[in-house]
Amino acid sequence: MSRSEKARRLSSMDPGTHGRVARVTRENADRADRLAALGVTPGASITVLQRFPGVVFLCDQTELAVEPAVAHAIVVEIE
Amino acid sequence: MSCAQAAIRDTAAEPLLTLRARPRRIALVGNANVGKSVIFGRLTGQYAVVSNYPGTTVAVTSGRAMVSGEVCEIIDTPGVNALEGVLSEDELVARRILEAREADVVIQVADARNLRRSLMLTSQLAGFGPPVVLVLNMVDEALIHGVVIDHEGLSTRLGIPVIETVATEGRGIAELRDAIARAATPQLGVTHVGDHARFAHDLAVQFRRYRPRSTARFQERLSRMVREPVTGLPILAIVLYVMYLAVGVFGAQTLVGLIEAGLFTRFINPAAIAFVNWAVPWGFVRDFFVGEYGLITMGLTYAIAIVLPVVATFFLVFGFLEDSGYIPRLAIFSDRIFRAMGLNGKAVLPMVLGLGCDTMATMTTRILGTPKERLIAVLLLALGIPCSAQLATILGILGGVSFAALLTLFIVVVVQMFLVGFLAARALPGERSEFIMELPPLRVPQIRNVIYKTLLRVRWYLGEAVPLFLIGTALLFGLSRLGLLDSITRAAQPLVVGLLGLPAKASAVFIMGFLRRDYGAAGLFLMARSGELDAVQAVVALTVMTLFVPCVANFLMMVKEQGWKPAVSILGVVTVIAIGTGTVLNAVLRELHVTF
Repeated sequence: MSRSEKARRLSSMDPGTHGRVARVTRENADRADRLAALGVTPGASITVLQRFPGVVFLCDQTELAVEPAVAHAIVVEIE
Repeated sequence: MSCAQAAIRDTAAEPLLTLRARPRRIALVGNANVGKSVIFGRLTGQYAVVSNYPGTTVAVTSGRAMVSGEVCEIIDTPGVNALEGVLSEDELVARRILEAREADVVIQVADARNLRRSLMLTSQLAGFGPPVVLVLNMVDEALIHGVVIDHEGLSTRLGIPVIETVATEGRGIAELRDAIARAATPQLGVTHVGDHARFAHDLAVQFRRYRPRSTARFQERLSRMVREPVTGLPILAIVLYVMYLAVGVFGAQTLVGLIEAGLFTRFINPAAIAFVNWAVPWGFVRDFFVGEYGLITMGLTYAIAIVLPVVATFFLVFGFLEDSGYIPRLAIFSDRIFRAMGLNGKAVLPMVLGLGCDTMATMTTRILGTPKERLIAVLLLALGIPCSAQLATILGILGGVSFAALLTLFIVVVVQMFLVGFLAARALPGERSEFIMELPPLRVPQIRNVIYKTLLRVRWYLGEAVPLFLIGTALLFGLSRLGLLDSITRAAQPLVVGLLGLPAKASAVFIMGFLRRDYGAAGLFLMARSGELDAVQAVVALTVMTLFVPCVANFLMMVKEQGWKPAVSILGVVTVIAIGTGTVLNAVLRELHVTF
């Protein structure tokens, strides 16, 4: 996946921003697998809902809460 | 096993012969919180505890159901996110059932809103080879969110029956029963074998349509208010206050007053005493039933008059909260705090469940990611989380003293839990897992489910706690008759009277606390009411009782979940911490001349 201008880390996206998962970094394979099992895989639609105290986002129709380190591993192509 | 399997396969090929070595087994498999237990209930007519958060079903349940004229065994499994890769304990349970080919047919239950995720699981299921029926449950909620699925198209593509249901209302269940006979192994297609994510994505794009959503706005706004700190923390305060009013005031004061002072003291106990005195000539036997440690005057009075009203009101409020989907949202606020204790926000689930019953909550620690997390959570549950009955006696006693007294106990226990968690996180080997949690949708609870669940739990309380209360009373009676109670009280005197500054009689209460925490708490409740404890003593006694060893049932569950060695170690650590904290608290409060 090429690094386009619009690719952002989920942890840096403002609430209300939409996008699609471009990739999930694999430096922690266990984390990537857990996210994939919850539907966070390339192509999934993402809407950020909240950033503090934890990151909350909508992935397709699933509402997920994650800690910042996890959100940092999710790269989103902003639409 | 393979021979038996072959035999079953053969008979399955000839529908006229339905004699089997064992009943056909049908397993319900699917993501967490998609309604497997509701479908289980609909198929079997049995009730499995249903809540609105993942992890309610932690053990495999099975029941019988009639499917196309044949009695089948239905197996309800815990929710899974995956069947391959790094798996949780729950997921391993489900995987083992599939690997051992224990299920002749699998019903995959899916949340219709989450087609992609569900198909990822379908793709993994296909690898195990059993015939599958795919159930798209909660199609009504999906429709509200504007999600429509071409289930016929999907059925043709996968080569398996795809049934739409609204299980809570029973819609689609008849179709599901009919479809079981047509179950088949899902066809993944040549290009997609092995690549679960791509398979799921491509099929979801092909068969899912979005329509303008209709009425989910209010739900969205509420969900936002609950999760954002500015509005969420005041809401939490209100929820806690309402709970206090319901359990601490209505349950522990109004209802207990009515039943204990009104019914038992005025009618039941005098009647029982009169009857026993009339019917039984032997003083020893009389005392056994209606004496100071009498089965009726103490055992039943404690169980039915003091603890039951409190437990019942708690279960009612708690069931309502459970089904609303509110509790998991607390994980967002608590994640940072739990991370310092070697856990993550997910741990809020067992901790809050512990307020209902620590024994059940100890079992729920299975939803946590690593062995270290599970051990810390079990330790903290045993140490600091008061169960419903205990919580209410605390509220009942200290609510009558002062708010400052209540706050003191609360702060001491929370600080102690945090310290122990903080140290355990550093002292114990292993790692914590990262916080990744699915939030179930907020829903208006179905009153029927809440009431049914409450009744089920009350019945469980009566079945499990009452016998223990009676055994405990009989034990105390025996000890007191043999003069051992006095010896124990005297032996414990330096500790109970010297260090903790409590009346010597409190020793008996702590012995009761070993059997069940709420039993001990009920003893303190009566001591406080008859003026045998002053305010400082009440705070110290309740703090020690809260931190003190878990009840027998909780201890046995700890052994079951963690093994003997960790369980006994936890018991030792907790006892030392409880008495140590009580000693320090007593000394500090006396030194500062606090009177509350």
